[in-house]
Amino acid sequence: MDESPRPPSDQSPPPPPPAQSHTGSPTDFLKGVVGKRVIVRLTSGVDYKGVLSCLDGFMNIALEQTEEHVNGVITNRYGDSFIRGNNVLYISAAEEI
Amino acid sequence: MASQILPLELIDRCIGSKIWVIMKSEREFTGTLLGFDDYVNIVLEDVTEFETTPQGVKKTALAQTLLNGSNIAMLVPGSNGPEDS
Repeated sequence: MDESPRPPSDQSPPPPPPAQSHTGSPTDFLKGVVGKRVIVRLTSGVDYKGVLSCLDGFMNIALEQTEEHVNGVITNRYGDSFIRGNNVLYISAAEEI
Repeated sequence: MASQILPLELIDRCIGSKIWVIMKSEREFTGTLLGFDDYVNIVLEDVTEFETTPQGVKKTALAQTLLNGSNIAMLVPGSNGPEDS
């Protein structure tokens, strides 16, 4: 008498590979940071702080609620702004990713 | 011939450890290397930026940061940066 149900191991698909929590590549970083507050520093040293709405492989960036900081002082505010990628020195997360 | 190691293999072996990044300009970064790509754009964690100006060295602390590869001149694996050497 072997009425017990078979273990489901035959039918069930293999478990998905463990979620790649962090490979850490630039692409992964950018995926994680879209929609978050960021600091974008240009090679000139000017900072733009705002919410990263989108970006592309050239590091062209669209920011929302942008504040322009020169030497640590806010010099301008923009609702939306576009930064051409060649000027970007770095993109830094300003909140938890 | 002894087994060769490619330059970027060396950097790949540094993932997870401290690295010192020297830019083309008077600017340096240190932090923990999380990853990089073919352009040597670099993702760092727990970053310190050192900016050398005529007034002195200005330090800035940053969280996770993506450094644009086009301004990078040199990478020094396993170093805590300009204050280490």
